[in-house]
Amino acid sequence: MADLLTTQRLTKNFEGLVAVNQVNFRIQEGQVTGLIGPNGSGKTTLFNLLSGLFTPTEGTVSFLGTDVTRVPPHKRVQMGMARTFQLVSVFDSLTVWENLVLSNIRFKTEQQSLRNFFFASSRRKDIADDCMSSLELVGLESRASSVTSELSYGDKRMLEIAIALSLRPSVLLLDEPLAGLSDHEIGEVVSLIYKVKKNFALGIIEHKISKIVELVDRLCVMNYGRIICEGVPGQVLCDPQVRECYWGKEDNKC
Amino acid sequence: MIESAIYGLTIGAILYFVSIGLSITFGTMRIINFAHGMVYALGVYFFITFLPRVGGNFVISALLAIAAAIPVGYAIERFVIRRLYGESLDYAIIATYALLLIGTDAIKWIWGTVPQQVTEPIGISFRFFGGGFPLYRVVISLSALVLFLGLNLFFRKTVIGRIVIAALDDSEGVQCLGLDVNKYFSIVFVLGSCLAVLGGILYAPISAADPYMGHDILLIAFAVVIVGGMGNLTGTFISALALGLVIAITGRYWSEAADTMVFAVMAIVLIYKSYKA
Repeated sequence: MADLLTTQRLTKNFEGLVAVNQVNFRIQEGQVTGLIGPNGSGKTTLFNLLSGLFTPTEGTVSFLGTDVTRVPPHKRVQMGMARTFQLVSVFDSLTVWENLVLSNIRFKTEQQSLRNFFFASSRRKDIADDCMSSLELVGLESRASSVTSELSYGDKRMLEIAIALSLRPSVLLLDEPLAGLSDHEIGEVVSLIYKVKKNFALGIIEHKISKIVELVDRLCVMNYGRIICEGVPGQVLCDPQVRECYWGKEDNKC
Repeated sequence: MIESAIYGLTIGAILYFVSIGLSITFGTMRIINFAHGMVYALGVYFFITFLPRVGGNFVISALLAIAAAIPVGYAIERFVIRRLYGESLDYAIIATYALLLIGTDAIKWIWGTVPQQVTEPIGISFRFFGGGFPLYRVVISLSALVLFLGLNLFFRKTVIGRIVIAALDDSEGVQCLGLDVNKYFSIVFVLGSCLAVLGGILYAPISAADPYMGHDILLIAFAVVIVGGMGNLTGTFISALALGLVIAITGRYWSEAADTMVFAVMAIVLIYKSYKA
């Protein structure tokens, strides 16, 4: 299986605090890669380095065989890498529909015409069709004209995932997609992920291990900025080092 | 009193022209931009320079001055502001304040330190409730309203406008849509610079041009942005007009305290906001 996204000795140092330390991480074609670890272990920092929001202190990030270590975030998205955030990131001042219009407009072509650049709008049929199918996928058709700030947290999470999907990524990074959701909402998000996961490789950070253990093909565990264990979930979750950092010294039964 | 109100709305209109760029710059880029005052003053001096060369035509000279300020605004954004994204606010204050000082000295060097008068383009006054009102001031007040409506249209109906509104919510989120947020910031920054220049030009016949005019208005414009809410477009409009009225009405009864009262209002708003939070 081909590696789509890889890092080599990736390190991020925040004024003395090494948040990510010499990490070799990879996401492979057609696979779901889970990333777990205690709070503050460097998972989100690693995702920020992968998506280009942080520049690494050391090491490299390669995407689709190209070194993207110094490539800005928006170019990585154009290359096919999308992500969501731990704290849901949607545009509260816009309507649900406008959120999707911004993600569906194909700017690479729009920018060739100054008029389109200024006035391209959701009235264009191809954009409107894309927006509608995104809404249908996450069941938010009836909320299209609502201002996003009025949505529940669960609906915002669904919208955020719909936005990421509409970017048609080859790699999607989900940062704790289940955080802050009710059991019912968790069920909806998990079944959405099952529905769409065949379309791309997926990297997923999650604390609710039981909810994703069936979903992931490979599981990586981070602690103190390093990947301490990786492999198939069953084995990884039985690793004594992993059990110690997650459940404490006493729990070594598997 | 009505005279003070019209004067207040005139000042408020000018403050709106100057503040809107500051408000968007802070809202999207989280940068406090003192260089805005430099562009404001420089634009007015460009205007004064062009005016006699175009036969005293106010509109053409204003357009030329705005056109001349565009590369200045662009250069400030491209070479100074863009390097400050994500850095500590202190760096932005030091770098942009340095630009303001450099600009002020450049103006003194090129145009001298003596304030320069600009003739009012519409020399018509009308009488209303026993008071005399220059038509020019009414035109300025109305132009702020037109600008407010125009900007609303721009931010609601154009793709760039929606992207900037989205960036006010979350600029990292906009990058994660595959959009080069810097390009949109540049456009909006230059737009803000042009509006500041226009504000300066409209104000010049009322106040005269002097090398420190950028310093004087900048602090009050910051108060407008803070009271209106950083990045809040409607809030900036209302706050500019309200603080313009505060200046005019305080000035009528206690002229020494006119500017101070602006900061008193700002302090009250800040206390109220922190209390509410």
